[in-house]
Amino acid sequence: MDYCIETEGLTKRFGKKMALKDFTLGIGRGGIHAIVGSNGAGKSTLFRILLGVTTPTRGTASLLGEDSRLLSPAVRGRVGYVNEEHTLPLWMTAQQITNQQRSFYPSWNQAIYDQVIGYFDVDPNQKVSGLSRGERAGLNLSMALAQAPDVLILDEPTLGLDVVARQSFLEALMFTETEANTTIIYCSHQMEEIERVADRLIIMEKGTLQNNSSPDDFVGRISYWIGDFANGLPAKNTLPGFLTARTIDGQHHILVADQDDTFGQVLKNNGAQTVTKAPVNLERAVNAFLTKNHNTPGSRV
Amino acid sequence: MTNLSIQIVTGDSRPIFKQIVDGIRMEVAKGNLAPGAKLPSVRGLAMQLMINANTVAKAYGELTAQGLLEARQGLGLFVTEPRQLLSEEEQKKRLDAAIGTFINEVAYLSYDSEDIIKAVQDALTNLGGETKNDSDEG
Repeated sequence: MDYCIETEGLTKRFGKKMALKDFTLGIGRGGIHAIVGSNGAGKSTLFRILLGVTTPTRGTASLLGEDSRLLSPAVRGRVGYVNEEHTLPLWMTAQQITNQQRSFYPSWNQAIYDQVIGYFDVDPNQKVSGLSRGERAGLNLSMALAQAPDVLILDEPTLGLDVVARQSFLEALMFTETEANTTIIYCSHQMEEIERVADRLIIMEKGTLQNNSSPDDFVGRISYWIGDFANGLPAKNTLPGFLTARTIDGQHHILVADQDDTFGQVLKNNGAQTVTKAPVNLERAVNAFLTKNHNTPGSRV
Repeated sequence: MTNLSIQIVTGDSRPIFKQIVDGIRMEVAKGNLAPGAKLPSVRGLAMQLMINANTVAKAYGELTAQGLLEARQGLGLFVTEPRQLLSEEEQKKRLDAAIGTFINEVAYLSYDSEDIIKAVQDALTNLGGETKNDSDEG
């Protein structure tokens, strides 16, 4: 398979902390790939290694077929990056920045720039210092898409945007007509956005890869069970695929991964008197995964 | 082009593509989408619902596989003449599943069986009735 991003056994250690642990990931070309992970899951380290800014402790990473440690200027020019800060030189006008950016990228597509900036109300003669956060996000996205990149990395691009700017951003991202088959890597904590935009859902936790599938297939991995246990919840290590459990009104609500309907019998064998399976949505499924190794209060009202 | 008045919600346990499949099936059942009606383009419906176009394509693919929609070369997707593609066994399975869900919902309500059967009968009559009105106009 032709990967645009590929890592093999990637490991990065900062002193005692392992930011990435034997991390192996393949991302195919095209589509929108959402990456979800708690703070400190290793997302930023992964991007820094991919872009050649940091070197791995062990393992390999490649971007568009080139080793990340030896990226050529040509490949660097095919990668776009937009971060949550939307940092741009404050003293320059929108027009000046655009002119500068255009001179850097031979494949600059002015028609795409005009189309994307049309979603936002940016006065070309306004200095960046006078632009709102949403307008700066729009300017950044317009320039990134106009470069017609093969890979576009968006790191929490809608953080702190209001409803209107957020909607414009998503529409511009999804519906701008480009000829390029850009692979979009979309980091976000907004499940609502991920549900709308993502073709693939990549979940990272503590430097490891936990999932790489369509969001629907991921939700299919998780099931939610409610049980009455006269003698309390059985030990967690006796329940296969255990993610999280809460006690609500004396009943135990349990989320598990990769279990079929026979899990109900497992619960009964462990002392459950009644067992009910409940539906689960994307947000709950993702949260269960991200919190599975965190402590939760044993009991709630 | 037919206006398609379906809604999707995020945060639901049904994936968005399934919500589109169910929504369009309901529009066809209610007669709001008559046989021969043209569906919005993949991109058009994606923009209307503000979702990834691949999700709409997946839903259209599913509906086409079910025989509810058909592609006409270069023209787009259209609602097919009603015909049954599911096996008798599969139909029975789906009917049982639907009845199971329904019974779960109504079991705790203080109606007796007679009231419930009457309400279901009325709803079914309405379904049939609306379809008839549409064909009268056409």
